[in-house]
Amino acid sequence: MNKKEILKLAKGFRGRAKNCIRIARERVEKALQYSYRDRRNKKRDMRSLWIQSINAGTRQHGVNYGNFMHGLMKENIQLNRKVLSEISMHEPYSFKALVDISRNAFPGNKNVVLPTRKADVSINV
Amino acid sequence: MAILCASTSTIFSSSERTSFGSLKKTIPSNQSSFLGFFPVAALSKPGSVRPTTLSFSKRDFRDIWNNTWYPKAKDHINTEKTWYVVDATDKILGRLASTISVHIRGKNLATYTPSVDMGAFVIVVNAEKVSVSGKKRTQKLYRRHSGRPGGMKVETFNQLQQRIPERIIEHAVRGMLPKGRLGRALFNHLKVYKGPDHPHDAQKPIELPIRDKRVQKQR
Repeated sequence: MNKKEILKLAKGFRGRAKNCIRIARERVEKALQYSYRDRRNKKRDMRSLWIQSINAGTRQHGVNYGNFMHGLMKENIQLNRKVLSEISMHEPYSFKALVDISRNAFPGNKNVVLPTRKADVSINV
Repeated sequence: MAILCASTSTIFSSSERTSFGSLKKTIPSNQSSFLGFFPVAALSKPGSVRPTTLSFSKRDFRDIWNNTWYPKAKDHINTEKTWYVVDATDKILGRLASTISVHIRGKNLATYTPSVDMGAFVIVVNAEKVSVSGKKRTQKLYRRHSGRPGGMKVETFNQLQQRIPERIIEHAVRGMLPKGRLGRALFNHLKVYKGPDHPHDAQKPIELPIRDKRVQKQR
């Protein structure tokens, strides 16, 4: 009963782990632990992937992700990152409209201090 | 604001197919809007002639808004990828390698997927003229080990540039690509050449857009 269920869950495993119950039992326990953990990790990973996709899409228009999201928050556009990444992939012109809205709302940080080059700093002898 | 966006998307999606060179690359191929009905004519009685203009397959009705998009095989065909060319003369090594690796990996595309090779090919010419700042030319060391005891070989940037100049850029870019099976496959998309010529004219490479303002060595 339990053996049968375990071997059913062990399909696709490598080597003896899919056939022999003693090894399969350990591997299946580990697999179920991983799947428990990864159901929570998947939410983090997907959000990270959406952010990377939005970043790539906005940088094509000259705006980075941070400034883009700040502009959207200022305009109270409550589109979430999932939808924004889908728009940037499938509806490029709508996405450009969003980038323009964000750029109007937040043109960028004018007070940014660029790091000075070491060659420019003069050494007082 | 949501209504405005919906209306703009319907306007823009109808004009999606028109030519806009740089933006067209972000659209995966074969995307059509979701039709919520089957025309009755196509499901006509057996034995009657089917109209040849209507042909619907499962692919035409893919719902892109309620399913996670994952690239299909036709979204990353090697022969249809972009080829970039960049001249390494007097460019700072690390900054150039960073931009190259971003384009090879595909992180500049909105369709970036970490498990799939969606990037472009990059050709580097004039590899022996790449520069580094400070005293790295004589002080930067390239090490390799043969595996046997006492088998560490060290050479400086200068010596390696005399010997095999392509290896400098390859070493830099390989360190910035992911390590693993996919990373090794991505590395093969980098082509480095010593002089100003490259044998890839048939791929019609375009100029690599570098956004880094400090990549050119100041003289």
